[in-house]
Amino acid sequence: MSADSHDHHDDHHHELPFWKKYLFSTDHKTIGIQYGLAAGAFLLFGFFLMIVMRWSIAYPHEPLPGYLSWIFTDGWKGRWLDDGKVTGDTYNMFGAMHGTIMVFLGVVPLGFAAFGNYVTPLQIGAPDMAFPKLNMASFWVYLAGGIVMCMSFFMESGAAKSGWTNYSPLAGYADRQIVNQLLAGQTQWLIGLVLLITSSLLGSVNFITTIIQLRAKGLTWMRLPFFVWAMLVTGFLLLLAFPPLEAAGIMQLMDRMVGSSFFMPTGLYSAADDVALDISGSGSPLLFQHLFWFLGHPEVYVLLLPAIACVAEIIPCNTRKPLWGYKPMVWGVIVLGFLSFIVWAHHMYLTGMGPVISTFFQTTTVLISVPSVILLTSLIISLWGGSIRFTMPMIWAAAFLPMFGIGGLTGLPLAFNLADLHLHDTYYVIGHFHYVVAPGILFGLFAGVYHWYPKMTGRFMDNFLGHLHFWPSLVCMNLLFFPMLTQGMAGFHRRWYNGGEGYIEKASDGVNVFGQTVADNISLNEVMTGAAIALAVFQIPFLLNMFISYFWGKKVTSDNPWNATTLEWATPTPPGHGNFTFDIAVYRGPYEYSRPDHDKDYFPQWEEPKRSNPVEEPSEKPEKESTEA
Amino acid sequence: MADSVEEIKKAKKLYLIIFGALLVGTALTVAVATFPALDVGGHGFDGKDAVLGLIIASVKASLVMLIFMHLNHEKPLIYFFYGLGIVMAFFCMWLIGWSKSDPIQYGNSEKADGFYNPEKPTTNVHGHD
Amino acid sequence: MEIPFIVNARKDTGLFNSKVGIWLFLASEVTLFGGLFSGYLFLRLYADYPWPERALPVLPGLINTFILIGSSVTVVFAWAALKMREWKKFQIYMWITLICALLFLGLKAVEYNAKFHHQGVRLSSEGSVQDFGYLEGHVHYGKLDENGKLIEVSKQEKKDNPEGVFSANKIIFKASELTFALKRPAHEAYVKEILKQAGDDHKITLVGDYRVPDEDELHAAGKNRAQLEASEAALVVADGADLSIDDLDDLEDAFLDARAHDKNIRTEFLRASWSWIRDEKGIDEISNLVITTDLWKERMAEDNAKIKDLMISAPGTVKYKIDPPLTLVWEPDDIPKLADTEIKLRDDTVIKGELQPSPMLLGVDAIDFRHTAMRAETEGIEPMDAIKQSWILTHENSKGENDLKKAWDCHQAWLAQLTKDLDEKNEEKGLEGEDRLVPTDNDKYRVNWDQMVAYKKLDFDVEAVAAAAADGSLKRSGLFDLSGFAGANHNNYEFPHVEIPRENVGFTSTFTPKWNTYYAIYFTITGLHGLHVIGGAIVLGYYLFFGRKMYDSNPEWLANRVEVGGLFWHFVDLVWIFLFPILYLM
Repeated sequence: MSADSHDHHDDHHHELPFWKKYLFSTDHKTIGIQYGLAAGAFLLFGFFLMIVMRWSIAYPHEPLPGYLSWIFTDGWKGRWLDDGKVTGDTYNMFGAMHGTIMVFLGVVPLGFAAFGNYVTPLQIGAPDMAFPKLNMASFWVYLAGGIVMCMSFFMESGAAKSGWTNYSPLAGYADRQIVNQLLAGQTQWLIGLVLLITSSLLGSVNFITTIIQLRAKGLTWMRLPFFVWAMLVTGFLLLLAFPPLEAAGIMQLMDRMVGSSFFMPTGLYSAADDVALDISGSGSPLLFQHLFWFLGHPEVYVLLLPAIACVAEIIPCNTRKPLWGYKPMVWGVIVLGFLSFIVWAHHMYLTGMGPVISTFFQTTTVLISVPSVILLTSLIISLWGGSIRFTMPMIWAAAFLPMFGIGGLTGLPLAFNLADLHLHDTYYVIGHFHYVVAPGILFGLFAGVYHWYPKMTGRFMDNFLGHLHFWPSLVCMNLLFFPMLTQGMAGFHRRWYNGGEGYIEKASDGVNVFGQTVADNISLNEVMTGAAIALAVFQIPFLLNMFISYFWGKKVTSDNPWNATTLEWATPTPPGHGNFTFDIAVYRGPYEYSRPDHDKDYFPQWEEPKRSNPVEEPSEKPEKESTEA
Repeated sequence: MADSVEEIKKAKKLYLIIFGALLVGTALTVAVATFPALDVGGHGFDGKDAVLGLIIASVKASLVMLIFMHLNHEKPLIYFFYGLGIVMAFFCMWLIGWSKSDPIQYGNSEKADGFYNPEKPTTNVHGHD
Repeated sequence: MEIPFIVNARKDTGLFNSKVGIWLFLASEVTLFGGLFSGYLFLRLYADYPWPERALPVLPGLINTFILIGSSVTVVFAWAALKMREWKKFQIYMWITLICALLFLGLKAVEYNAKFHHQGVRLSSEGSVQDFGYLEGHVHYGKLDENGKLIEVSKQEKKDNPEGVFSANKIIFKASELTFALKRPAHEAYVKEILKQAGDDHKITLVGDYRVPDEDELHAAGKNRAQLEASEAALVVADGADLSIDDLDDLEDAFLDARAHDKNIRTEFLRASWSWIRDEKGIDEISNLVITTDLWKERMAEDNAKIKDLMISAPGTVKYKIDPPLTLVWEPDDIPKLADTEIKLRDDTVIKGELQPSPMLLGVDAIDFRHTAMRAETEGIEPMDAIKQSWILTHENSKGENDLKKAWDCHQAWLAQLTKDLDEKNEEKGLEGEDRLVPTDNDKYRVNWDQMVAYKKLDFDVEAVAAAAADGSLKRSGLFDLSGFAGANHNNYEFPHVEIPRENVGFTSTFTPKWNTYYAIYFTITGLHGLHVIGGAIVLGYYLFFGRKMYDSNPEWLANRVEVGGLFWHFVDLVWIFLFPILYLM
């Protein structure tokens, strides 16, 4: 991509040395790609952890097969595997790190940071982010945080083992035997987390400032592509929800490093050493959960919004008609963002908060489904009556809709605290949020990759490999996650490292009803494990596709290969430093497809109107044209 | 914004006045907390002292925000950002505080009227057995 | 390429970029401190111990408030000077701001330092309510005499001959045997400490050879295990070797390699057995049911017989004996478990021997029974009855005296006078019921350091205290008493001295975050605030020292930057405005 970028921008800058251009670049596109590659690597690692866990669930008494265990050194296996089998400790470690990596190191950086960085400045017609150096700093702080977290796999203590939620007092007590607490996995998790939060804060300040300050001439609020709106709201979520978790992280760090009792209640006792813990007590585990979920729930929308944003760009482009209900979607996403701050305690119905406050949070939780449904319904209705081009991105985007639908709807029973009493901490919860995140969000992001790849590289991704990636992934995802819902309703607990087989023996006495239920559903474990391994295999075509298409893919013939309308397609391909080669101005809304008064079936935002009016200043008129066509 | 030289000169006088007000406010907070003669409410520290202290602190904070941070004449966007931060921080404090004072859970019988109250044997509150 | 709106404002928003950025950042800071204040509120409202009200010396906080307010004014003046293009004035105001920042941090350091040297102890006496008496003070120095017994050392003696002197809050243990757990690396600092304390007089030597047969030869046919172990190559560390970190590393490596080897072999056998039972026997039940079958159990027995000869089976612990037994002085924090004949360090090293009397020597500046009273009330006991039985009031020193008891009696005399005074006021103002003025729990159950000083001045004479309290000559430390600037000053005053036996020390800590949740939140919030001060000072200092170039080329840009930096500085001031009353006055 370097050669092309220089064709357009030779006059602007001299040749930068390699390390400045690719490593410590301040160009938002390079940083976006760096984020994408790093997040992709973390996602694969998190996926690998998950397969090891699934092996343990389905075959708890069998050693890990060679294709999973070759990666470990002998010393590591000696410490963490029991004759090749996964132990409970190791399972906990992998579970905690799987969650952490997928959420904090994988999906958020991929969705918000990678796509946000690459696409947002292009879509608003900006030359770069508002604070390019800060942008670079966010990436490196993020990477440092990720590395610090993952380093602990090689330490005496192993990585964090107290779940991705890191609840105290468990997380405050774990790894206490390590003399130098800085080298304990549980502590490193916190240090990593504080670094990640810092990175996110810098990033979100940058995003919001960019969107507010650097919009091109004529790009009024209601002419912003939905993608930009989603990024703006996501930015605010990160900005305001993360700091309380940073506070909690610092407090828990104090608990671990200097022995304070923020989250450690009075009267804790160590069974291992048979002594009372040497702490003052009077702390509150509930406080940690509050501060954690104050971020934790908005974080769900931080994961989700970038994916919806990608889909909302891809659907109008491939149905060749405007996004249905652009304005309701914008207001929906704003309301969604606001409400997401006051629903957090629905993760905590079982902590003994009391019924009045539970009712409050139940109400807000049910309320928030309204904007969510507006978003999804608008996207589905957008398909109606369109002449749909089933390009690779569109196929992924289309699959996103029902998959995310299942994920969303299975969440409703969890919102009601009566139903949640039964379902809390079962595989039902796992099934629910994995439907949201994996076939939902990841499909949306895959769609984004296929959609913007031509802009990033100047070549299309291969269609055959794309299909080979998509169809098996769709099948495997469902085989992997649907049985979880079944098992969950049967009461399978989410933290059984052996898949619940300990209950089966008890089933034979005929009295133990639960044992019988477990016995009836346990064979699903093998189905899910098989599906997970197959899913991993069918990601190989995607990786190949990224690589092969970069060198040998079909070249794009124009700067706007999908005939899309938003500003990123006005740049050269791939865009050079500074992005635009002409003074960009915006004349209309973002989704002007199939306008009857226009000769082509798309009318890009930057194309001057025929009547050669000067730039239309902010006004109501063009909005109406664009949204209610 | 005070941009012209004239305005800045005028503003500087205001800054000095606010400086004085802040010093007085600080002295006042300490005085009501330290000298028994100025103690409000009962003997020693109690809720009234806390409220008074927080009110003085809030007044001082407002002065800093309005004058030093120029919030008395700022662009709407700034009010929006800062206001949003304050609203969210308020949600955080309010809901977290509330979660432990649940009238049913923590047996505040006055508030729990009409709900199940473990301390008071209830009789048929909801109209059915 | 140039980013627009760095210097000039964008028309529709009326703002330049960094101003938008800083206000967004400040909004996030509001929620950061919002989270911390939520923590404060929650911990305070639902604390299950008496929250320390007005526990900090006010003067340093007050001065710091003045300093920060002053710097807030100078920073805004510096900005105004830049706007009027007066570089010299800008420099002066900026310098003052930075000096204020330094003063603030210096004062903070003084406060922190006083707390780091102030020790609190919660007494413990077999699980009844009188457990919860607290003593506060400074730990005195001590050293071991030639018999390994603790003796007290005065400050002067310590200055003259500092060798072997430690602060007398230690576990003293006569050790004769060390056992290291090889599956966990022995902590280097611990081993070094043991070697240092052993010196040349005590030999620490390995008991028995540590031998590991070579794995390749073990697998070769015809070699016998006993022969291999006896061979020269198998020896890792020989019997009688002196303790050293290098040796421990070798032992640990040898053990870990052997364990990895053994586990690999077992894994291979297990894998083979699983494919045998699935493929050859065709049993495809879930694994739990398979492993309960007789077929599987027989196979496992066969496997185990075969595996036995292939395993290295290196021992997981090594034992060192100490000759002659060594009296170790150990930090209580490093010993999670303490018993009369055995202590375990945090790296799982077990030390066998004999626990020596390890009392804590404390100069007591405050006695606090509020927690005792609180616990007594919940259990329906009269608080004063519980307090009277506490170790604090019942123990006797070697001379058969108890200064703390005397201080407590003096306090009762003072309290009686206070109650009388308040009653008079009640009469005067006609206050009744809940409005009546009554002594607080702090008055009733706590002897503060300034009261201790006052009683001590009167030689703990109850009559004299009562008389002084009545005529108002019993002065407590006022706001401007510099001798207690950062808390009780043990250089200026002599405080009663106690020797607390180790079994009576329930929980002890300096006044750090460990002591209780109040100090935890105090240190966290003020520490974080201090970091903000440092960060702000660095940014402002950057403008001061490196701003001249930009001032010459683009003064408006520099003014923008100073405005943004100033906004952050004001915010730091703003946080302190709330912190000061909340932490110092409530």
